[in-house]
Amino acid sequence: MNEFFAALWSGLMIGSLYAIMAIGLTVIYGVSRVFNFAHGHVALIAGYLAWLVAFELGASYIPGILVALAVMVPLGWATYQWGVRPLMRRKEADFATLLLTLGLAIIVQFALLEIFGPRVKALPEFFSGSVNLWFGPISYHELSLVVISVAIMAGIWAFMTRTSLGRAMRGVASSVHGARIVGIDTNRVYGLTFALAFVLTGVSGVLLGTHSYMTPAIGWDWMIKGFIIVVFGGLGSIPGAILAAFTLGVIETMVTLYAGSLWIWPAWLAVFVLVLTLRPQGILGGRTA
Amino acid sequence: MSALLEVRGVVGGYEDIGVLHGVDLEVHEGEVVGLLGPNGHGKSTLLKAISGIHPATGGEIRFQGEDITGLPAHEIVERGIAYIAEERFLFADMPVLENLQLGAWIPRARARYRENLEMVYELFPRLRERERQHCSTLSGGEAQMVAIARGLMSGARMLLIDEPSIGLSPGLKKGVYESIERINRETGITVLLVEQEIDYALRLAKRIYLLKRGRIEFEQPAAEADVGAIHEAYF
Amino acid sequence: MNGGFVMRLRNLTTPGRLLGLALLIFLAAWPFLGATRFTLHVASLAFIWAVVASYWNLLSGYSGILSLGNLGFFAVGAYVSSVLAVELGISPWITIWIGATAAMLIVTTVLGLPALRLRGIYISLLTLAFELALPSIITLLGDWTGGGIGLLGIPTFLDDIQRWQAYYLTFAFAVVALFVLYRIINGRTGMAFVALRDAEDFAGAIGVDRYREGIKVFAISSFVTGMAGGFFAHTLGSISPGMLSIDQFLMVIAMYMLGGVGTFFGPIIGALVITFGNEYLRVAGSLRLGLIGVLIVLTVMAFPGGIMQLIERVRDLVRVRFKQLKGASDVA
Repeated sequence: MNEFFAALWSGLMIGSLYAIMAIGLTVIYGVSRVFNFAHGHVALIAGYLAWLVAFELGASYIPGILVALAVMVPLGWATYQWGVRPLMRRKEADFATLLLTLGLAIIVQFALLEIFGPRVKALPEFFSGSVNLWFGPISYHELSLVVISVAIMAGIWAFMTRTSLGRAMRGVASSVHGARIVGIDTNRVYGLTFALAFVLTGVSGVLLGTHSYMTPAIGWDWMIKGFIIVVFGGLGSIPGAILAAFTLGVIETMVTLYAGSLWIWPAWLAVFVLVLTLRPQGILGGRTA
Repeated sequence: MSALLEVRGVVGGYEDIGVLHGVDLEVHEGEVVGLLGPNGHGKSTLLKAISGIHPATGGEIRFQGEDITGLPAHEIVERGIAYIAEERFLFADMPVLENLQLGAWIPRARARYRENLEMVYELFPRLRERERQHCSTLSGGEAQMVAIARGLMSGARMLLIDEPSIGLSPGLKKGVYESIERINRETGITVLLVEQEIDYALRLAKRIYLLKRGRIEFEQPAAEADVGAIHEAYF
Repeated sequence: MNGGFVMRLRNLTTPGRLLGLALLIFLAAWPFLGATRFTLHVASLAFIWAVVASYWNLLSGYSGILSLGNLGFFAVGAYVSSVLAVELGISPWITIWIGATAAMLIVTTVLGLPALRLRGIYISLLTLAFELALPSIITLLGDWTGGGIGLLGIPTFLDDIQRWQAYYLTFAFAVVALFVLYRIINGRTGMAFVALRDAEDFAGAIGVDRYREGIKVFAISSFVTGMAGGFFAHTLGSISPGMLSIDQFLMVIAMYMLGGVGTFFGPIIGALVITFGNEYLRVAGSLRLGLIGVLIVLTVMAFPGGIMQLIERVRDLVRVRFKQLKGASDVA
């Protein structure tokens, strides 16, 4: 029985990390209708950069993370301005942006492979030590991850609902033409959305880097999981992504506990197929294509 | 006295299809001008060109003496033109109040947010009641009110209104027209109105233009309009 | 894909046809023109990929059903055919047909039926999910499929088959499959598919049932792609879940894109270029990965029409030049 609770905690914890990644993905899709296939690799860039700055270049941990996140801003902005924006006026924009982000992901993977090599890296934990609960120990680090994630989720929610930029982003997501009619500079909003989403993704990359390992190829895994979460939660819906992330995180750990890790991917994919066949718009009914 | 809005030789269209083939018209401050003509002949395209939603490919558009041809949509809103589209383009999954808040997006409008909101609620009391309701749940008439209200929130000097009464019952049509007439009378806002309902257009407008095959066929003061000729032009 | 790319099939002008015929004759005679065994082997693979890319194009480029799962059809055909040949000793000549049928049945029921009720990007996601799920399923069925290690010792079409014989077999397969594709595209079915893609409402009005036509395309595409998988397995002699790796997936996408989406010859050219490029660039290791990435990005940004678009431009340029010269000589 203790193992059940341990797995539950573990699932919620990893779910919170997935949630941050998924929010970035669903925000990009919701506002600009772009499927960012490079999402997992963007997260990796942040993770590797943090590692590089903090440990190879001798700065310390927190500055390293801050630098990594700071880089995410121009990276997101540039990806939109130079990559996505020229494609948006094409008729087959959906497909083209998909292929673009796919191509960028591969280039990033190659670059990471060349610079850092294929061997796994892990970011150090934030805290050491653990506290004993009735079902077993939970580390302070894991606790901190959850606290950070939840704080970020709350922050995003406040940003989206209370600030005018957040409202503008929701407006563009709701109706691009409507946004232009009221005088919103939609290009600026797209650029800022990408920048914001990349920062979020970067955060999740750093957090995931402390919990599991990093290798250039894991970008695909993260991206695919992110997509499954986003579709499950409903494309474009932030609460949906959060709910779905926690659910799938728990499913993952439960499956590992009771069936074995070999069944992790089949479980994720079974959820994916089920959602697409039974309720394609996801649990919180985001946007259908 | 030069016109508030001057349109000279505007050419435009979509992809390979040319729709406007040299349109000339002007609107003076405080006027309500009607733009009539058969469907598909360029009325909406012209409004989209003026508002920057779908820029013209040739010709010149001047507003308040300034050349605004080809400017992006958000800059045209800043210059003082609000476009109320036939499709409305409301933020359907957001409540009425947020639609209005976004309507006041530009800095000039934000400064006058409270006053404009009061004005709008006074004009359309129903919206105050429905403040928190999502736009997707509104009736056709209420949605049209939000569309017009949202345009007013920008503090515009001129409204471009595209078929506001489309899809509405006769009673609601009348209500919409009364509102437009009232706005123009009370605030002096200039209106360029595209309309299918010739009678309403004639009653509301001071002058009308007839747009056919991408060109202005004729212009008449509404009071002396030859209704027969207009109807004929439609066929 | 919606209308952005024009079908050049009908416009096969005489020079184009002659060129195509010349190419065909060259390819048919190649083994006797001093091609090495390695080259023939690579060419065999290129023919198979040309079929895969072309039938992917049928599904996505012509019919607008944005599938990302065709590699899965390929793998199903390959595995079913191989397992039957290895476990039950049935001749490959027969098992490839069974593999193709299996691919068709599985894909049409598992993907076709649900996918066609969805719009655009969801179809891509569903087909992608199918393809991602396959390696796990193959591993779970390890007793038959050889699991992660793969299946070895797959019987070939002829005992002690020579490279040139394999070459001709795959060549014949490709020619027949592409000829069939040509007939499909130019027939009533083909027009129905294009109508589906470009003008759904219109299609409905003239009696084209999106669902039925969609199922047909899935069936055709998966059958032939599955058979290509069978050819692949029995030509190489061994397969593994690695055929479904991201690398492979990206390469097939690159083939399809590089040549020119929605054109007839595009995917064929793309397949040839990528397959040969891949084999001869093997030494570059992970650089190959980077190159494919750059290729995809460049193609999307600058040359969405792929090589075919390039050829068009060159041809137009030549025509203009030709007219100019003719005009000049007329005056003189």
